[in-house]
Amino acid sequence: MFVRFLSLLLLMLSSAVMLCAQTETPIISGGVQYLNTTSGGATVFQPLISPVVAVPFGGRWLIESRATFDEVIFRENGTTGPYHAQTFSSVDYLQLDYIANSHLTIVVGEFLTPFNIYNERLAPVWIHNLADAPLIAGIGTRTSGSSDGGMVRGVAVSRKDWQLSYTAYFSTLVNASQFSAGRTAGGRAAVFLPSKRLEVGMSYQRFLQDQHLNSWGSYVVWQPASAPLDLRAEYAHTRGGQGYWIEGAYRFSRYRGSESWIGRLQAVGRVQQFFRGTPSPQDVLPGADTQEVDFGLNYYLPHNFRLNTSYGRQFSSLGNTNIWNCQITYRFLFPLIPGGSK
Amino acid sequence: MNRSLIFRASLLILLLAALGAAAKNAASQQQANLTGSSGSKVAATATESQEGEKRFQAQCGRCHMPPEDLSPREARAVVRQMRVRANLTAEDERLILKYLAP
Repeated sequence: MFVRFLSLLLLMLSSAVMLCAQTETPIISGGVQYLNTTSGGATVFQPLISPVVAVPFGGRWLIESRATFDEVIFRENGTTGPYHAQTFSSVDYLQLDYIANSHLTIVVGEFLTPFNIYNERLAPVWIHNLADAPLIAGIGTRTSGSSDGGMVRGVAVSRKDWQLSYTAYFSTLVNASQFSAGRTAGGRAAVFLPSKRLEVGMSYQRFLQDQHLNSWGSYVVWQPASAPLDLRAEYAHTRGGQGYWIEGAYRFSRYRGSESWIGRLQAVGRVQQFFRGTPSPQDVLPGADTQEVDFGLNYYLPHNFRLNTSYGRQFSSLGNTNIWNCQITYRFLFPLIPGGSK
Repeated sequence: MNRSLIFRASLLILLLAALGAAAKNAASQQQANLTGSSGSKVAATATESQEGEKRFQAQCGRCHMPPEDLSPREARAVVRQMRVRANLTAEDERLILKYLAP
């Protein structure tokens, strides 16, 4: 009986969504990537597809989800032996959003943990400038990078010259493979100066299972209006260690415009340091103090293709390593329901 | 039991149909508000589109470039999604939509 009821409910809900779709079209977007990484002489190939589905309805509602399907192809002994492949799939988020007003949006379901900015904003393959995640990406996003529970977010104060935004969330422990999350609570607050294109924010998280611990971090994003330059930086601290990264990306769009052959080129540089704290078997942080410097050249091809290349040198007491990355990404977006262009 | 099931299903259909209609109406009203209602607003729309471009560069450009070939109906879903992700205000959403889907 319950199953029938649930089936009927789902059928009716999908019909309601279809009705609304006449004015609010569901879309599917995302990225397809092929990544070739050589780290310490060991080469890994990684094809990946990451679709994002967004279903707006009712003027204030949105269902959105992102999944990732990837395969890692590697040699048995790192640099020698036959090739093997492992396939992975995950649901990164599956959430229902209700936009009450500019000050409040309520989110329930599985959502990306909003600690600093990398996990929530910069991690998608069609966005990040460098293929490798920062060394501190595991701080505040441990377990899966996702949280299961509820979140409130919005713009607390909006003035012409500045905005104060906030995010607060609670997550429960879930061990289901596709929706795994830790029991946590936390939040983020940020000040944004639109005229300066400067954002400064702080994050805090309390991990509420096993060993209770605090993580906190801060970040800066600055895009000076006078140059096509992106500057981003994060700092994060937890019991397992602390570190920072600073990234600058300059696009040569000042030379003959952003559509010229040279205007499509972007130079990227990133420096980062990690200082190991109290080791924990559960964290995904480097095992020792580590420094890394990366240089990248990205090329924005027409039709939403992008070519990313980078070289990095990692310095650690566990061994110094060269890291080469070559990645091609295609960003796609089309309506889920076929129809006219309006 | 069958009668009870049919009754509940009918009730559910009515409820959801009403919800769907209300949702569609709300969306239409919002769209009407977004697009304006008279030709005298053409100049204002151009200004708003410019302001929308500024907001796009400031708010969305912090993370990514604008996607190519975005149709108006796709833009509505994209901007709704970004309103949540990037903590945009209702005014930001309206102006950025003017820029992406004039």
